[in-house]
Amino acid sequence: MAVTVRIPTPLRSLTKGQEQVSAEGGTVRAVIESLEQKHPGMKERLLDEKGIRRFVNVYLGDEDVRFLEGLDTPLQAGAELSIIPAIAGG
Amino acid sequence: MSILAPEGAATAAADWRVLLVGLGGLGCPAALALVRAGIGVLRLCDDDQVDEGNLHRQILYGPDDVGADKLSAAERALGPLARRSGTRIELVRSRFLPENARELARGVDLVIEGADNFATKFLTADACHLEARPVVHGAGLRWVGTAWSVAAAGRPCYRCLFEDVPSEPQANCDSAGVMGPVVGIVGALMAELCLRSLSTSGRRSELWTLDGKTDTLRPVPVSARSDCPLCGSHPSIREIEEARYLTEAGAPA
Repeated sequence: MAVTVRIPTPLRSLTKGQEQVSAEGGTVRAVIESLEQKHPGMKERLLDEKGIRRFVNVYLGDEDVRFLEGLDTPLQAGAELSIIPAIAGG
Repeated sequence: MSILAPEGAATAAADWRVLLVGLGGLGCPAALALVRAGIGVLRLCDDDQVDEGNLHRQILYGPDDVGADKLSAAERALGPLARRSGTRIELVRSRFLPENARELARGVDLVIEGADNFATKFLTADACHLEARPVVHGAGLRWVGTAWSVAAAGRPCYRCLFEDVPSEPQANCDSAGVMGPVVGIVGALMAELCLRSLSTSGRRSELWTLDGKTDTLRPVPVSARSDCPLCGSHPSIREIEEARYLTEAGAPA
């Protein structure tokens, strides 16, 4: 099932500059695997051995998936995921 | 003096003391806006010098300031405006460090944090929470910027979202660059969040995220984590311990 993923600027080097890409999967985990297939390197930027990296937040609509079921959060067709990384700089 | 501000905000601003941590691309526009708004005391905290590479975004400084310390250059730029608006500018010639963080936070009504490194961001979040001071965080990198207002001892806090100082080196403006107008917009937004935080309360917590490549500004709702080490139900951070803010290299960032 197809979902939309909003890509933050630091990761757009992996998506040839696209700010929004489509991916397949019924859970957040499956979508990240799908992103990795199409945009190699994405998985490592999002996950570490414990799950979603500390410095990355994945949102389903307006909800941080950490407050849902994390990587196992089920997704409906047409769902919108956003990736929100922490940034420093000023 | 005439300030067009709604519902007595200008009058109230004269009673407020604000600490600005970091006088870079975010701190410069935030300082300008707050002085023009007639904030009572603006305390500036930085120990850096003006570099040629700062000038495209750090709008308080000009070519003649290169090599000068930022505090003196900022005081020169803000002085005439401050005299007009009645703002007292105070200079803290130091970084915001574990040994002075709580005292500096305690001495003001609100802290604005526009630091260029994560250690200072987490330190500011911790010190403000422990001293029950509201804090406005800002960040900018490449084409993206974020701003976030956290109420006094409020939840969620910076650690609810980003947990802890990263163990690996992270990109900053010196290494990755930043678009001047992006931090200009975010710095102005931080000043607005500051004025709003001091005059209202009870808003839901949102991380404002600016994408300069699409000109979109989105509010991302943030939720409190019950196991947050700073604001959760069993907090483990009860004081400022220097070791918590060391980078992997072993030195304060």
